[in-house]
Amino acid sequence: MHYPWWYVPLLTSPMLIAAIAVLHVLVAHYAVGGGLFLAFEVRHAYRTHNRPYLAYLRQHAWFFILLTVVYGAITGVGIWWTIGLASPLATRTLIHIFVFGWAMEYVTFIIEIVAAFIFYYYWGRPDPKTHEAMGWIYAGAAWLSLVLITGITGFMLNPGAWLKNNNFWLGLLNPQFVPQVLVRTGGALLLASLYVYLHAAFKIKDPALRDLIARRSARPALLGSILILIGGLGWYAFLPESARAALMASAVLTVFTALIFATTTIVFVMLYLGPYRNPGWLSPGFAILLFILGLGAFSTGEFIREAVRKPYIVYNVVMGNQLLTEQVAKVRERGYLESGTWTKAFVASQYPGVMDGTGIVRERLRALPEADQLRLGRLIFQYHCNNCHSSTLGYSPVGHLMRGWTPEVIRATVPHLGDVNIFMPPWLGTPEETEMMARYLASIAQPRPKGMR
Amino acid sequence: MDPTRLLGPDTPLGLPAPYWFTVFFKVLGFTLHTIPMNLWFAGILLAMLLRGRGEHARTCSNRLMNQMPILIALGINFGIVPLLFTQVAYYKVFFPATILMAWPWFGVILMLIPAYYGVYFYAVGLRAGRLAPAHRTAGWVGALLFIAISFVFANGFSLMTNLAAWPALWQKTSVAGAPLGIALNVADPSLWPRWLMMFGLALTTTAAYLVADAAFFAVRESEAYRRWVPGFALRLYTVGAAWFALAGTWYVFGTWPAELRQMMFGGSLAALTALTALGPGLPWALILAQGRKVRRPLALILALAQVGVLALNAVSRQVVQNFELRRYLDLAAEKVNVQWSPLVVFLVMFVAGLGLIGWMIMKALAAARQPAPAKG
Repeated sequence: MHYPWWYVPLLTSPMLIAAIAVLHVLVAHYAVGGGLFLAFEVRHAYRTHNRPYLAYLRQHAWFFILLTVVYGAITGVGIWWTIGLASPLATRTLIHIFVFGWAMEYVTFIIEIVAAFIFYYYWGRPDPKTHEAMGWIYAGAAWLSLVLITGITGFMLNPGAWLKNNNFWLGLLNPQFVPQVLVRTGGALLLASLYVYLHAAFKIKDPALRDLIARRSARPALLGSILILIGGLGWYAFLPESARAALMASAVLTVFTALIFATTTIVFVMLYLGPYRNPGWLSPGFAILLFILGLGAFSTGEFIREAVRKPYIVYNVVMGNQLLTEQVAKVRERGYLESGTWTKAFVASQYPGVMDGTGIVRERLRALPEADQLRLGRLIFQYHCNNCHSSTLGYSPVGHLMRGWTPEVIRATVPHLGDVNIFMPPWLGTPEETEMMARYLASIAQPRPKGMR
Repeated sequence: MDPTRLLGPDTPLGLPAPYWFTVFFKVLGFTLHTIPMNLWFAGILLAMLLRGRGEHARTCSNRLMNQMPILIALGINFGIVPLLFTQVAYYKVFFPATILMAWPWFGVILMLIPAYYGVYFYAVGLRAGRLAPAHRTAGWVGALLFIAISFVFANGFSLMTNLAAWPALWQKTSVAGAPLGIALNVADPSLWPRWLMMFGLALTTTAAYLVADAAFFAVRESEAYRRWVPGFALRLYTVGAAWFALAGTWYVFGTWPAELRQMMFGGSLAALTALTALGPGLPWALILAQGRKVRRPLALILALAQVGVLALNAVSRQVVQNFELRRYLDLAAEKVNVQWSPLVVFLVMFVAGLGLIGWMIMKALAAARQPAPAKG
């Protein structure tokens, strides 16, 4: 409310964050796990003097660079870009808390880029030891960047002791830190193997080499699956109560949680029976199936991670509707339109008559004609609700969620939004604003479907 | 409407670093970002235009495009720091400005992916020794998309200080008070000369880079090519500097308010302004001094001088930006709550990172002296 709200019809702007984030994590984890894969395997190939394997690893490094340095890096920047547009208050808050975390991550990025390019573009020129060192430097820097960003995403779910003393380190090393680092490290190992299988299944014709790759990459993948399960249990154990309640109460999240455990288990069994015990099974079809299951599990995991935070963007710090939790009481007292920088400016520019020079006069709001009250109701909806809901068409449309609600039901519900559903931020308006909001909602509520008894 | 009504309150957390620290890293980061950014801004277009203009021109084009994927990766990552510190200190104006033009701003990411892959595809074609029409098309698409991206950036950063335009843009492009994010700052008279000035500067950086490349990296190219480079770079630098001077004159005398001109041409800032305006003269003279043979010590001084030109521009730009904002914001008045230990850890990591990168580059340069192995 202190920043303009970016209105994206149908989709809602935060959904753009979700879209970019999912597209990013599927490659970002490979950027970490793939780095470890290349470092380990180049070392193995040099020590065993396995020239065909080295040749394959060079091919794989090219695929890896094309995918991670271009797509992975740009979508990573893309997440930051999009959160600034669709979630400016949370972005500002996180940057003011963790600017040095991000700055440290920036150092790791530059190291990654330089190491990756030298590793690939100078392939075969430095002595094996130096070449291996470049691989390890890349892998170390990439894993460190994972650790740093996980500290920040973990903080968003459970800031822990930071809430008491605002200490950077307590925020970064929050209760979710270790579990999420385990999950993400495991995910990086697992996904990297799935990418390797996919690439190798199509590129390698020599069955002996394909078997070698299948077998060697099965171990980190199996280890990754175990880390995901252990970290996942830790993640659940250190969830705030509201997030656990969200998992219990939301049918979608319950199904997704079951799905993620099921797919991870299936992937584990397939890896064990396939590449680990029977490497000959690694065909393009098998690799594609594994890859799709892996991506499915990952995307589902990201969805759950985001969804359980509601009604917060940062637990107990920033609400879903771009307001600091510490400001809730004050906003309620002063009124929503009056408290928001852009809502107040809108009222001042469109309805100067309701202003008394310094602020909005509530009684004058009440006296506005019906059409203007509806207009202001829509303004409140945009800033208070559009974070999670479209109006009548698109993502989670309120008009359809209120199908068949009478104006009385709407009027009675609005003041208790956060009570009716704990995943929604509390209602912040005055009685006048409640009335305007209720009128607007009643105007978009869809009728009760015909034929229902 | 008074645009200051559209500025939100201060952050209750306080700024995590002193203002000078934030601005230092913002300017340093921007200078580092500008080096590769200039090369893709003007360099890709130049490389496309140079094809088919003789043997040396083609070699020059090939060298630029072969290096471009690495330069782009470095440039994108160098861009993180200035943007990060912009968001730290200038959050009150950065977020609203970019939200008002959210779709073009978001479009930067959507344009960057095909632009980068286009350049890579072109480079792959070069390495395969066969440039099909698809490769050339990809190169052109990359060149044009990078120019479009630069235009969006010029819009974003000029809108950030052009608060007077916010109310009208907001009201014209919003639905029930929420912006659709389709505004651009094209009515701002300073936008066009700013954007064009950067293109002129980009031409000069590309010219200086070509000389440095010929001196240090083009060891496998013919002597004739290395003799051709200084002459071509001098012509290119001259065009770039003239472009920079014309656009700069337009910017300073056509769009600056009298008060700003007075400030920049008077007192202690007069020297900065003069150095910024005349700075390109030194690299130009250094290219001229190369004669017909590229000399490494001179090329090194030239490269450093061009970095100096870019740094002077970044500093001047920062001074002007602060002037433009001071009517609305008192940046130095915000509460500061310095996070000392993370700040120190970052600085240690920054220095250690630089050391590690230096070591890796030394190893790479040593490796470069070895013959390239066959693929396969």
